[in-house]
Amino acid sequence: MTVPFLRATGITKRFGALTALRDVDLDINGGEVLALLGDNGAGKSTFIKILAGAHPQSDGELLVEGQPVEFSSPKDAASSGIATIFQELALSENLSISENVFLGRELKRSVLGIPFLRRKAMRERVDGLLHELDAHISDPEAAVGSLSGGQRQAVAICRALNLNAKLVIMDEPTAALAVAETRKVLELTRRLAGRGCAVVLISHNIADVFEVADRMVVFRRGRKVAERRKEDTTPEEIVSLITGAHPDVRALEQNNR
Amino acid sequence: MRQSSLRFVAIGGREWALLGAVILASIVFSVASPYFVTAGNAGTIVRNSTELMLAGLGMTLLLAMGSIDVSIGILMGLAAIAVAHALLASVAPALALLVGPLTGAGLGLLTALVVVRGRVPAIVGTLGLLGVYRMGVFALLGGQWLSGLPAGLTELLSSTILGIPLSVLVIGLAYLAVWLALRRTPYGPHLLSIGNAEEKARLSGVPVTKVRIATFVISGALTGLAASFYVASYRNVEMAIGSTLALDAIAAVVLGGTSIMGGRCSLLGTALGVVLLRILQNGLLLMGVPSLWQPVVTGALLISVLALELPVSRLGDMKEKWMQR
Ligand SMILES: Nc1ncnc2c1ncn2[C@@H]1O[C@H](COP(=O)(O)OP(=O)(O)O)[C@@H](O)[C@H]1O
Ligand SMILES: [Mg+2]
Repeated sequence: MTVPFLRATGITKRFGALTALRDVDLDINGGEVLALLGDNGAGKSTFIKILAGAHPQSDGELLVEGQPVEFSSPKDAASSGIATIFQELALSENLSISENVFLGRELKRSVLGIPFLRRKAMRERVDGLLHELDAHISDPEAAVGSLSGGQRQAVAICRALNLNAKLVIMDEPTAALAVAETRKVLELTRRLAGRGCAVVLISHNIADVFEVADRMVVFRRGRKVAERRKEDTTPEEIVSLITGAHPDVRALEQNNR
Repeated sequence: MRQSSLRFVAIGGREWALLGAVILASIVFSVASPYFVTAGNAGTIVRNSTELMLAGLGMTLLLAMGSIDVSIGILMGLAAIAVAHALLASVAPALALLVGPLTGAGLGLLTALVVVRGRVPAIVGTLGLLGVYRMGVFALLGGQWLSGLPAGLTELLSSTILGIPLSVLVIGLAYLAVWLALRRTPYGPHLLSIGNAEEKARLSGVPVTKVRIATFVISGALTGLAASFYVASYRNVEMAIGSTLALDAIAAVVLGGTSIMGGRCSLLGTALGVVLLRILQNGLLLMGVPSLWQPVVTGALLISVLALELPVSRLGDMKEKWMQR
């Protein structure tokens, strides 16, 4: 058995009186697309925000390549190789593509102690990444505010690639996209996994999930209620797990009452 | 495709419009008053613009960050008192020139502690500090004028290098330094990403707290430098010092195309905004409008620009959000 890239054990998150996540165990492996599913409010975003270092867990432990880690900021998570593309994307619309790709970790050279930007190097790197992703964006100096939803996803993915991320987390990347752009983004997730990256994908679209995911995990009311490999399940079963109609979920919720 | 808002000096529509307005106002005023076009009056306009050029530069950074400081006038007052005392203590003029920005930077740090560390909205925090600082000025001046200050600093700033007055060179250098910091170092994208949406900047790994504190310190230093210029031109400090500086600076900066909502700025726009504002104030004075009316004109100008612009930029925001979801 190899060590998973990331292992979460007993992850619990409380917001005051509300328990958004309860005792979640999950392994995430390199080269694999893992889908997180669940109804609105199930705790998916909260879970990945913990992995991303955006807020600390109330309880439980994270291991990256077998080593316990504690993230106090997204920067900490990034230095462990975890890049997150949030639902709200976290891009600055007023900045250019290359400024966004490098935001917070610009390439610099120090002249008299002043950190000057290496703008040409950054532009070339972004050009290369955009090509590699076949993103159909010609000008890395264009403002992100002028891009379509799918192009913005590509910029966010460039950010993750630029970090040499070993785990890329995407929160509902296709929710706002037209069909053609959705295809493109799904293709990108497969390509990331092909490079040996672990990919965690949150999506409400069961068809999309069955197209790209190797493994599926269902959250319900803050608990992980099921975990299935794609070849061992069907869309119907996943839907019944999400809605709670599945006998396993009923039994679980009976016990927890 | 729309370009990044980091093109600080590229001349866009806004800058051309301001240039046009400056020329138009000059023509109107020279028709209205024969004195307007004289060299003496041009000198007056330039001299009256210097403090606002510097304080406006700091305000440009604050607004671009989605922040504000309404206490800069009285901050300039405190720094001016420090400069005046340095001159009275026979400190060398070159050192006295530095006393202003140093005092200003210190006060800017204090502002940052209240607003950034204390997590108070900038407009409320700096309004509170305005009250505190005003008491400080009153206590330090004791209701009297500091006047008859030595002329050393005045002479220093009006001395010329290659025919250019040192005062103009210092202002030019200040603009160049800020432009370099914005365009050539990570400070620019960091500042504008905070102004666009602070939470997104934080998630991207921008050191938000550090940048916000630094910006209040830089603005304080620039306003403190304005204080040195003030002391050099007037050679006195009185209770009412800086009472319209914040209003003038915000008006000039917004007129210059920097967004009051943050995320966009133009340094050239600020400089042109300052010149236009001072020409309007000067021209109206020459036309016999009492100077008490100046803040009315400035305020009306500020409100008009915002009224004209905000609905448009709000629509822009909505469109942006719409495109994301
Ligand atoms: N910052 C927060 N403060 C308080 N409650 C929160 C916060 N973030 C999420 N929640 C709550 O936690 C629960 C799980 O939310 P979330 O993780 O966003 O669900 P999902 O992404 O699965 O739709 C919801 O009840 C939500 O209201
Ligand atoms: Mg969510």
